[in-house]
Amino acid sequence: MNTIYFLVQQMMFFSIPLMVVALGGMFSERSGVVNIALEGIMVMGAFCSIFFINRMEGVMQGQALLLLAILIAAGSGMLFSLLHAYAAINLQADQTISGTALNMAAPAIAIYAARMLQDNGVQQVQFVNTFRIEKVPFLGDIPVLGPLFFQNTYITTYLGFAILIVSAFLLYKTKFGLRLRACGEHPQAADSVGVNVYKIRYAGVMISGALAGLGGLIFVVPTSTNFNATVSGYGFLALAVLIFGQWKPLRILFAAFFFGLMKTIASAYSGIPLLMRLGIPSDIYKMIPFIATLVVLAFSSKSSQAPRASGVPYDKGSR
Amino acid sequence: MKKGIAVLLALALTLCMGLSAVAETYDIALITDIGTIDDKSFNQGAWEGIKEYAEANGKTYNYYQPSAQGTEIYLDSIEQAVNDGAKVIVTPGYLFEEPIFIAQDMYPDVSFILIDGNPHDANYNYRTEKNAVGIIYAEEQAGYLAGYAMVKDGYTKLGFMGGMQVPAVIRFGYGFVQGAEAAAAELGISEITMNYHYTGNFAATPEAQSLAASWYNDGVEVIFGCGGPVGNSVMAAAEAAGGKVIGVDVDQSSESETVITSAMKGLSASVVKALTAYYEGNFPGGESWNLGAADKGVGLPMETSKFNTFSQEDYDSVYAKLADGSIQLKNDADAETATDLGTTIVKVTIVE
Repeated sequence: MNTIYFLVQQMMFFSIPLMVVALGGMFSERSGVVNIALEGIMVMGAFCSIFFINRMEGVMQGQALLLLAILIAAGSGMLFSLLHAYAAINLQADQTISGTALNMAAPAIAIYAARMLQDNGVQQVQFVNTFRIEKVPFLGDIPVLGPLFFQNTYITTYLGFAILIVSAFLLYKTKFGLRLRACGEHPQAADSVGVNVYKIRYAGVMISGALAGLGGLIFVVPTSTNFNATVSGYGFLALAVLIFGQWKPLRILFAAFFFGLMKTIASAYSGIPLLMRLGIPSDIYKMIPFIATLVVLAFSSKSSQAPRASGVPYDKGSR
Repeated sequence: MKKGIAVLLALALTLCMGLSAVAETYDIALITDIGTIDDKSFNQGAWEGIKEYAEANGKTYNYYQPSAQGTEIYLDSIEQAVNDGAKVIVTPGYLFEEPIFIAQDMYPDVSFILIDGNPHDANYNYRTEKNAVGIIYAEEQAGYLAGYAMVKDGYTKLGFMGGMQVPAVIRFGYGFVQGAEAAAAELGISEITMNYHYTGNFAATPEAQSLAASWYNDGVEVIFGCGGPVGNSVMAAAEAAGGKVIGVDVDQSSESETVITSAMKGLSASVVKALTAYYEGNFPGGESWNLGAADKGVGLPMETSKFNTFSQEDYDSVYAKLADGSIQLKNDADAETATDLGTTIVKVTIVE
């Protein structure tokens, strides 16, 4: 039983950032802008917020600092994504190219800024992790559920679930969500009934920027003691989660958990006697999420749920 | 009148520049690799060595930080240092293996001290000229000291998590296993478990953190995080699980409370040694130094280590045995994998 608790707790460290970033990607793509800049935005969000933690550590600690860092991460991610939004929406540039540009620029900017801003001139930004919650009061004592979800955890885990619920509500139950989806499917039709496609797309990209920036912070905090200008390709992995989840919030949740579980097993199986005895090489576990993505794509390509206008710049004149 | 003043000023300026150019020459130069001189690692160690020697012997010294990484750019920095009058140039890091291979021919009058590598060309043809020396370290001895200290200190469930499977990392790991074996034999312990893994990169990843967390969860008490940022992932896992970590290369105790000791290489000491040889007129040109305990090339930071029972006397006695050669270790040339080291008490489990 302990092993299962451990697996679930570890899985959250993989799954929550993947889910949050994939949800970000969902908002952008649903509005009609492909956002492969997720990786770069994660790097920027993580850099700004970890740098903030690094500077403020002496003044404050714990959850209050983490909450402020979350705001910084989301804000900086949003700002950085504006570059992509401007190129993709106003300039009608190729969205893959502008996204790639951000992905390449982000680590370089982070390294340069870290070296310039830090007194010791190194690119790693150190931080002390004072954010881990050993056990949530009361909830942590519930049998089974307590150890599964309320021990050895971070406030960001619950924030991730909250974002999921809000996202689903926003997308399906509000006027904004309807317009967002319309812009991703048929922007000309949306425009013809008076929806400002540019504004909606800006909103979509900015939400994705905020969530990706936040994802960067959530990703770094539990897994290292410094930020070294990388999120190890998890922005791209989030894109795979987004596609595996077919651009739908609930499916993205399952996709993120599936990816997270496989990732956890692949890296932790040597500490789990049962899996160790099975003798399956870790490479197999590492392959499974990607093979599954390919299989799902192969079967669902005919009825693919991808937003139809995703990646197509909107031009008023081409109506 | 105005013209006269202008000419005078220009003359004065030229004179000043000329004078300063004469004044600002440096005997000893350090070219940093991708880090800076206070990177808590390689460059800092080398810089401190230069400073120590130069200040004790009245030499001038300076450092140059290349604008980016790459053989050409490193060569530019070397040229700059030579133009500033450098007689001996210290370059820390294996990234300098190729630049020094080229520079040793370009500047036959300048001597080069290459740390953690030996000069070779792009196709790994090694050649060290009379004006260059390559310094590498006996990492297996540093690892041995760490492994020995851990078992002496009462730990019986150990883990080794290396970065890329490069010779230096392998030597650290093999030494760690052999050190644990030796201490266990002395204490009469019947079994030591050792999880052994290379992450395949030098990066802090959730995978490394998960793996370390799963080991701690499975009862591993201390993990040797041997691969730069990989250690940071191990520390993150240790902080969550209440485990212990061994640092690498330099004293990493400042990075996390969980670091109980570090398997260090004596960078500054070796720079001082090479500089001393140079100024005494017996520069070991063309040689390759392999520095171990005998040259104070490896060690543990006893002042900052958090041991329970392992004392300075214990350390000194095992260090002396490594130094005089009465302890001989197998390194990466002697064994294919860590299970081939022939240990009987230490049960090595290689995790792929």
